[in-house]
Amino acid sequence: MSRVKELQKSLFGGTTSNARQFGMIFTLVAIVLLFQILTNGLTLNSGNLISLVSQYSYILILAIGMLMVIVAGHIDLSVGSIAAFVGIVVAKVMQDYSVPWFLAILIGLAVGVVIGAWQGFWVAYVGVPAFIVTLAGMLLFRGGNQFIGNADTIPVPEGFRTIGAGFLPEIGPNTGYNNLTLLLGLLVGVAVVVREWRARRVRQQMSADVAPMWISAIRVAFPLVVVVFATLQFAGGRVGTSFPISGIILGVLVVIYSFFTRNTAGGRHIYAVGGNSRAAELSGVKLKRVNFLVMMNMAVLAALAGMIFVARSAASGPQDGIGWELDAIAAVFIGGAAVSGGLGTISGSIVGGLVMAVLNNGLQLMGVGSDRVQIIKGLVLLLAVALDVYNKKQGRFSIIESLTRPFRREAPADPAPGTGTDQERGKSPVAG
Amino acid sequence: MRNTLVRSVAAGAIALLALTACSSERSADTSTGTNAGGSTEAAKGFAADALIGVALPAKTSQNWVLAGDLFTNGLKEAGFQSDVQYAGSSTTVADQQAQISAMVTKGAKVIIIGATDAAQLSTQVEAAKAAGATVIAYDRLIKNTQALDYYVAYDNFKVGELQGKALLDGMKAKKPTGPYTVELFSGSSDDNNSAVFFDGAMSVLKPQIDSGDVVVGSGQTEIKQTSTDGWKAENAQRRMDSLLTSTYSSKTLDGVLSPNDTLARAIITSVKGAGKDIPVVTGQDSEPESVKSIVAGEQYSTINKDTRNLVKQSIQMVKDLQAGKAPEVNDTKSYNNGVKVVPSYLLEPLIVTKENVVEAYANDPDLAPLTK
Amino acid sequence: MSDAPVLLEMRSITKEFPGVKALSDVNLVVRAGEIHAIAGENGAGKSTLMKVLSGVYPYGTYSGEILYQGTESRFADIRASERSGIVIIHQELALVPGMSITENIFLGNEPGRGGVIDWKVANRQALELMARVGLEEDPDTLIKDIGVGKQQLVEIAKAFAKDVKLLILDEPTAALNEADSQHLLDLLRHFKQRGVTSIIISHKLNEIAQVADSITILRDGRTIETLDIKADGVDEDRIVRGMVGRELHSRFPDHTPKIGEVFFEVRNWTVRHPISADRLVAKNSSFTVRRGEIVGFAGLMGAGRTELAMSIFGRSYGTYVSGQIFKDGQEIVLRSVSDAIAHGLAYVSEDRKSIGLNLLDDIKTSMVSAKLSKVSTRGVVDSVREYQAAEGYRTSLRVKAPTVDEGVTKLSGGNQQKVVLAKWMFTDPDLLILDEPTRGIDVGAKYEIYGIIQRLADQGKGVIVISSELPELIGLCDRIYTVFEGTITGDIDRRDADPELLMKQMTSVKKAQRS
Repeated sequence: MSRVKELQKSLFGGTTSNARQFGMIFTLVAIVLLFQILTNGLTLNSGNLISLVSQYSYILILAIGMLMVIVAGHIDLSVGSIAAFVGIVVAKVMQDYSVPWFLAILIGLAVGVVIGAWQGFWVAYVGVPAFIVTLAGMLLFRGGNQFIGNADTIPVPEGFRTIGAGFLPEIGPNTGYNNLTLLLGLLVGVAVVVREWRARRVRQQMSADVAPMWISAIRVAFPLVVVVFATLQFAGGRVGTSFPISGIILGVLVVIYSFFTRNTAGGRHIYAVGGNSRAAELSGVKLKRVNFLVMMNMAVLAALAGMIFVARSAASGPQDGIGWELDAIAAVFIGGAAVSGGLGTISGSIVGGLVMAVLNNGLQLMGVGSDRVQIIKGLVLLLAVALDVYNKKQGRFSIIESLTRPFRREAPADPAPGTGTDQERGKSPVAG
Repeated sequence: MRNTLVRSVAAGAIALLALTACSSERSADTSTGTNAGGSTEAAKGFAADALIGVALPAKTSQNWVLAGDLFTNGLKEAGFQSDVQYAGSSTTVADQQAQISAMVTKGAKVIIIGATDAAQLSTQVEAAKAAGATVIAYDRLIKNTQALDYYVAYDNFKVGELQGKALLDGMKAKKPTGPYTVELFSGSSDDNNSAVFFDGAMSVLKPQIDSGDVVVGSGQTEIKQTSTDGWKAENAQRRMDSLLTSTYSSKTLDGVLSPNDTLARAIITSVKGAGKDIPVVTGQDSEPESVKSIVAGEQYSTINKDTRNLVKQSIQMVKDLQAGKAPEVNDTKSYNNGVKVVPSYLLEPLIVTKENVVEAYANDPDLAPLTK
Repeated sequence: MSDAPVLLEMRSITKEFPGVKALSDVNLVVRAGEIHAIAGENGAGKSTLMKVLSGVYPYGTYSGEILYQGTESRFADIRASERSGIVIIHQELALVPGMSITENIFLGNEPGRGGVIDWKVANRQALELMARVGLEEDPDTLIKDIGVGKQQLVEIAKAFAKDVKLLILDEPTAALNEADSQHLLDLLRHFKQRGVTSIIISHKLNEIAQVADSITILRDGRTIETLDIKADGVDEDRIVRGMVGRELHSRFPDHTPKIGEVFFEVRNWTVRHPISADRLVAKNSSFTVRRGEIVGFAGLMGAGRTELAMSIFGRSYGTYVSGQIFKDGQEIVLRSVSDAIAHGLAYVSEDRKSIGLNLLDDIKTSMVSAKLSKVSTRGVVDSVREYQAAEGYRTSLRVKAPTVDEGVTKLSGGNQQKVVLAKWMFTDPDLLILDEPTRGIDVGAKYEIYGIIQRLADQGKGVIVISSELPELIGLCDRIYTVFEGTITGDIDRRDADPELLMKQMTSVKKAQRS
């Protein structure tokens, strides 16, 4: 092993697969820096970071649910329509029945649960492929949106707009920054340090090699630098703006779902079902229940995303949600999930979504028209995946895999030469 | 060992603080930016080569494409930098929201918005205002926001009146006495203007319908029944197809109220497809295909809302703002966006039929040749 | 027959897979116009040999020569061998269910010009071919609408459409009923009269004895002998002796069983096939397992051993009809896999790649996957406990991998099998059902797996071993049940067990009805 590799290995984790984390983060950082230069520093400007988060938080929330759907071996085409449907229902109950906004949010989530149960029932218990069920749902709930809203745009009250357009309030002494955002940044920073410290302890308990302290220091310092920078940018925006509420909702969901998918029995069952449903069943996993819950969870997150968008737009309109499913699916696949299921992580999908978001935003800042932005995004998606498939076929280093492997729970690999008669290959990350 | 970690982290943090502290945007003058009204802002003027943002809807009609080109060239001639953006064809609203945010980030001084959905942009308009930009609604009035400064458009109620009158005139010319059988089409229900056009037309047609001189064959006279989603030709054609099948298998259709040219041509296509005589069909926008159609005697009328004049007026407003003058408005009463009456500049539309088509487009380099 | 000219000669064929020699120095001589049988245990190398012959393993991936019609042939792929008139009909039929008989017969070989199919010609030729194989059906009938026996005939007609000279049939009667099997055998004789040479691979020794002219027996990837059935007076017993005759000692670790009381009993277990409701995959089967005992289930492919085991393991196969399960004297009802696991059952599946393991997982995730609750607190998996548990098995079972973070695809078959065993040992079962625990594993790893099984038994657990390798059952098990067509046909103590007796009871019902 070369010295570089050895250093990489100790920096990015104990196993070789963790070393690939480098590539994933590198890509995002490279794209950010590229646009930072091309837009003369506008990309990392406070205002832009703030609008970037509030513009894409609902897509990233969808990506969380979509990741689990795709890992379980399904697809959901109905998320945009569900979002639009829930949006119009919520706007309507607030307008016609003067329901208070927090109650309206609960109603919206409840509608999500009901829709999810409906789709989950067909997928899990009747066995209709999710592609068909959600294609039907796409039409069904789009029609429902038009039916309830008469294709009208219905405004929502001020309080409700907080979840989509709100910011952390200004409190405390005038520090020149938004105090709550500073506090939030501090919390995240502490979490980064605590996580590394606990990781060291766990490795000690496993009686595995523990990296030297300076390695840990670098591993803590890099994210801390990012956190400090981001905190100051978000806290230092125009007065009245700061870290968006929708970003906080997204952050909380990312933490909860990452933990769920990685560390709980329920999360593992999703991967088991997607990886090999028969094996999972023979290991005592309740297949139908997992499929049902995965579809239901997606619908609830779609409901939440729909409400956040409506809140941000201050109104529910007939065009809401069109094309969202494709953005969410693209984020998940760029983030390294396999079409055949069983592979992918929440953090990978979030980074995949951010790559698309930064690309979109950067091109817009450069004044590139939306027609060309779409062309470029389409090509980026195709090329990223095609290059990966090609490299895999050639048996060479796979970029996507290297980018996303640390975000997968498991790292498949081609069998080492000379290891018995087993000729099967690891699943290709996208085409597999 | 622990000390090394703590020390390096602290060092990094301090270095960053030093780096970013100066980049905070919370400098002293921001308070004026956030709280000042449009007129105060305008009174100060801004640099003569400032950035002007123009956010237009998706390229669904030739008019928007033309407007985009005119803005790009016009702003350049006036010495401004311009950023002209169209919303994408699928995710229109979200795209336009992101484009406006990007313009704010780039520091545009004036943002001219042709809204895709007039009620879903208030957050972005408010952010633009807060960042010190002046917001002008172009052609479509942006709803439910205090932050909108101006509105520039053709007088759309007038457009509707002219369409209604043209429909009656056209039918009389063909058949001197009634009753006339007609069908009504209106625009996309998410567009504020659709209702204005329709109401204008109905202000002329309603008395005739009530007196029985004009009969709506299908009985569909409500705007909800007649609306055309997304202003899409295919939707109008589909509705016309069904109307012909359900109502006009034996009856004659004398006229169709169509809110614009794209829909008018779709309606004519549908009628032709059914093998019927072409009724009197109104239109709007002076699209080249429709001008040809009028010359050929198929479509009856269109409205010349010369996009050149509208863009010219918008750019004039920008120039006034740059110089620190209050832009000229001619209506401060009619256009209430839900929370405020928006100062507006309204232009007069012109009805065009086969009779006056040559004079109407004599000055238009693209359309004039078509009338020869 | 023996003076007919030689059609095919395969000379010292050797084929190696990484770590395993599947064929070593195999010779096969097939004379023109004969029916030549190839017999051998599962894994003896029959299928591999036929894959070498038909070009599935192209020239260059094996050593040795193939002389066909007197010249050396080097087939690059299946199409090349088919052009020479060698057609192989696999056990799994290669037919498209939603297409008609005609379409299937000419699939990839359509008559016509410039890609335009001439349906008139196709239908006429299809009718001729169907007449040759004795198939009376409308050629427009869809494949899914005719029975398996007729599908087999379509497959053969397809071979004739390619102008076949040497027809290879791999287990042609495995899925057929008595009447269809007989019809097929008659057809083979008929072809012989018309000069077509056939190679037939079959487990059903009575069929071989009935139709074949000569037989080549393979064992452990080597040619054992080639016999002329008529001249040498070969009968089933003689073939069995050839198939199983090998030394058994020293391939198994020494072991003194500590057998206790009967603790697990299945009574009158009857299960229906999941799709064809009139087929019973287990018929009134009863058996017992004692503590510390290793019980073998012997039977041919398709005898219903796996189906029996899986249906007991939480009804994970087929439709339950009747029967009871007792454990420690109490009747238990296992409606789902999780019930079965909770009651201390474990089933290590036959096919570890397709249903035993999630190949995307790493070692530690796989090992704890059947009982996550053991390493979790309130649904949250404790990574330290998980790691320690997995690491424990990695050391004790001697899994050859640097760490338990390694992906399972990287492991060899034997090590993968150890991972699967660990996965089920982790559930603390009282009864382990091991289905073909050593399939596709080399000899050294097999020895280790046997040791693990014996240790499990010594801990007082019951172990059921399902295996198609008779020597393995005889060497490892304390008692062996034989299964034939869903029925338990014999209960043989280790001391009485010999391959010939087992083989007889595995191949027919009437001889074996002892109980």
